[in-house]
Amino acid sequence: MKKIKLISVGAVSALVLSLVAAFIAPANAATDFKGAACALEGSVKTIGGVTYLCSRVNESLVYGEGRKLSGTLNVLCGAQELWCSTMTTAFQKKTGITTKFVRLSAGEGLTRLIASKNNPEFDIWHGGPNDTYIAGRIAGVLDTYKSPNRAMLIPAHQDADGYWTGVYTGALGFCSNTNELKRLGLRAPTSWADLLNSKLKGNIMMAHPGTSGTAYTALYTQVIRLGSENAAIDYMKLLNKNVLSYTRSGAGPTGPLGRGEVAVGLVFSHDCTAAKLLGNPVVVSFPSEGTGYEVGAVGLVKGAKNSLAAKAYIDFALSAEAQNLGPDKAQSFQVLTNSNAKANRNMVNLKKLALVKYDVEAAGTAAAALKKRFDAEVALTSSAK
Amino acid sequence: MASNRKNAKFDIFTKIALIFVIAIIILLVLLPLANIFKFAMDPGGRVIFTDLPKSLVDQEIVKNTLKLGLTVGTLGTLLGFFLAYTQTRIEFKGKRILHVINLIPIISPPFALATAVIVLFGRSGLITRDLLGLRPTLYGYPGLVIVLTLSFFPVAYMNLLGMMKSLDPALDEAGSILGANRWKIFKSITVPLLIPGIAGSFLLLFIESIADLANPLIIGGGYTVLASRAYISINGDYNIPGAAGYSLLLLIPALLVFLIQRFWSQRNSVISVTGKPTGRINPIKSGPIKYLLLTITWFVSILIAVVYLTVIMGSFASIIGVNNALTLEHFRYVLSGFGGDSVKTTVILALIATPIAGMVGMLIAWLVIRRVKQGSQILDFLGMLGIAVPGTVIGIGYAITYNDAVRIAGYTIIPQLSGGGAILGGAIVIVMVYVIRSSPAGQRSGIASLQQIDPSIDEASASLGASGFRTFRLVTLPLIRGAFLTGLMYAFAHAMTTLSPIIFLVTADTPIMTQKILAEADQGRYGNSFAFCVILIVIVLTVMGLINLAVRGRKTTSYKPLAMVQ
Repeated sequence: MKKIKLISVGAVSALVLSLVAAFIAPANAATDFKGAACALEGSVKTIGGVTYLCSRVNESLVYGEGRKLSGTLNVLCGAQELWCSTMTTAFQKKTGITTKFVRLSAGEGLTRLIASKNNPEFDIWHGGPNDTYIAGRIAGVLDTYKSPNRAMLIPAHQDADGYWTGVYTGALGFCSNTNELKRLGLRAPTSWADLLNSKLKGNIMMAHPGTSGTAYTALYTQVIRLGSENAAIDYMKLLNKNVLSYTRSGAGPTGPLGRGEVAVGLVFSHDCTAAKLLGNPVVVSFPSEGTGYEVGAVGLVKGAKNSLAAKAYIDFALSAEAQNLGPDKAQSFQVLTNSNAKANRNMVNLKKLALVKYDVEAAGTAAAALKKRFDAEVALTSSAK
Repeated sequence: MASNRKNAKFDIFTKIALIFVIAIIILLVLLPLANIFKFAMDPGGRVIFTDLPKSLVDQEIVKNTLKLGLTVGTLGTLLGFFLAYTQTRIEFKGKRILHVINLIPIISPPFALATAVIVLFGRSGLITRDLLGLRPTLYGYPGLVIVLTLSFFPVAYMNLLGMMKSLDPALDEAGSILGANRWKIFKSITVPLLIPGIAGSFLLLFIESIADLANPLIIGGGYTVLASRAYISINGDYNIPGAAGYSLLLLIPALLVFLIQRFWSQRNSVISVTGKPTGRINPIKSGPIKYLLLTITWFVSILIAVVYLTVIMGSFASIIGVNNALTLEHFRYVLSGFGGDSVKTTVILALIATPIAGMVGMLIAWLVIRRVKQGSQILDFLGMLGIAVPGTVIGIGYAITYNDAVRIAGYTIIPQLSGGGAILGGAIVIVMVYVIRSSPAGQRSGIASLQQIDPSIDEASASLGASGFRTFRLVTLPLIRGAFLTGLMYAFAHAMTTLSPIIFLVTADTPIMTQKILAEADQGRYGNSFAFCVILIVIVLTVMGLINLAVRGRKTTSYKPLAMVQ
């Protein structure tokens, strides 16, 4: 009796198991698109709850390893608010993963990453100059991820170890209010020395290098241009006499500038272009001695709670599809890093500009100390002058 | 029965209430303050104090802060005084409307004003340049004084209005019968009677203006104050001890002024309790003074009206003053997606915090007035700390205390509460900030109305055998219901408009409207920031209206809480 019972139980369960297996196996096979041919290089696609990246393997385009994503993704975003919401919304639409962001300027973002190092609150850092990402790598808040999509970028736009990868580039420029220039009897500045003109006293705005990546790039550009930190601080001291106010974020000066509160702003040229397209009477110019530039980056946060989704996000951020959203949907006209991304007539032509040889590694390494120096020797003296 | 009466003072409910209130105060104020102190004693924080005698820059920042606080405190109190005096002593058309206009700044985030003031009165302002042909530089001290005074004077106004209304006109009559002229009456009767109110208003305006962070960030220019310095320390240089040091430096004058005011107004408190006024106020009819007061009143009210009209118009214009094309783009941006999330989150968290803040305020008031004999002054003081400690200091204190689990001897007492990695995505600390910043308003109005209620009613309830809880619920609460609801109203407005502490605590899960408004203003997109402001004001007005409906028909105390400041 006992034996029969045992056998029948065994038989039934074997039957059930094989039935289940029979149903599941083809289902599995049907949803695994790994190795299947795909059309658009670098594009991220979610099929049946699994996210794939289309990349080039031996001259043919195929889907890579599928990622079954779940949970939520928290993005620390360092670019314009509209850009941030456009990117995160698009990723959420694509993958179904709830994607949230906090917009913080570069310095503020790095601070938050360091403060939550033991229990990271973000998975991804997206947007903002790469020298801050290097400062982040040094502070130990970033992890490496080499997305297959890096193949579509030139080497200068990516960190060899994968701590950061570039998503856009932009050049520092002078953004001038044409009405104010006329009133002051000045032409748009075309050299760094022009900014020191006494007619511009209290008529220049830029961001604070402590909080803003833009402003730090501007500060370190002086180091490169003039050869030493001391010379850079000396230049900033002279410039400080003309600066009315230091804003928190890099694009901050464009608002007061458009209104005519000041005549000239030191910003990334794409922020000036965006302000112009909104109807502000502003014009972009560049210093003939060479200007600084940024590579806006994306990076994986060390200890990210949702590193799987974070990696899919990085794949997405590097794709031409995502990068095109900047000019198309978010009034952001940075030059895009993906070689397949569309050019836009509002973008600056970096090849035609005189650029300094910006050493991003050195800039990132010097950041913490140089920012403190700027604060103590330049910005704060304005209240004592 | 007998035992009940004996235990009436400290029955189980009173004990629980007391422990609850003390625990709240420890967690919400004292622990963060202790951590500020601890970090400020680190070498990196201590250096700010030891170097102060020789650091010209830091001395300048301290001077800037005090100068700003004193100016705004004085100007705001004066303005509030004139406007309240005009309201109570002069009969004129449009009185009611002017009263309402004067209160608008209370229900809006103060930096809404900053951007609008630049649009109107900046170098290329619609009024300064286009109408008057002037180019004033607002960035720095002048702009800060204008914006902060306009933002905070309503506190002084409300405060003094309440007191002036309760002044007994019989005193004026007595003075006049004795042959004093109006100026003499004003000088020797009105002003001395109002001194506690004037001192209290000055104190609140002083603390609020030295603690304000958003305005110095937006229009401070080269005028650095302690709050903005602490902000750059922690958010630009990641220097926590430094930020704690500056916070402590900011805390000292705030607490000092607070203590002086308390000590002083308590000594003078007898004369401020004047009971119900009898007789009618004899309005000012004589020429010059009347017209001077009316001019000031109308000027200020029109100014406020114009500023807020600019906010509204700015929310519908592409770029107000530059490109005036009408657009709904700002509202679409603000209400869709992430902007909409911040509206939802802020309202939810404020609605959670409001009743808690109201209850905590009332409990403290009840304990102070009815239950605790020894140390009631200390309890009252501790309860008021939430408003006495500058918001920036609270924010930094929370960030360094709750960004990790609070451990005692290796055991986790409180899990991590702040930051995106915390439970509920850091929402708890934001509610905590709302509660501690808002409960003092309820506490003040609760104390004021309890003082007017005969304690024998409580005692009667106790001697009939009711427990402390029963007495509080069935006797005390109904009696101070009006004060309670008024407290709730201000708590909500306060929570919705608070920024300085929040800026250190927002996470991806807790987008907060005021922080979004600041971000938009800081990135130069005034239109979006105006649209956010309009929505915020509409929400606050709606909720206040609903609470008002709930109070309607019930007798409310005429006393307006002291601490309903932003």
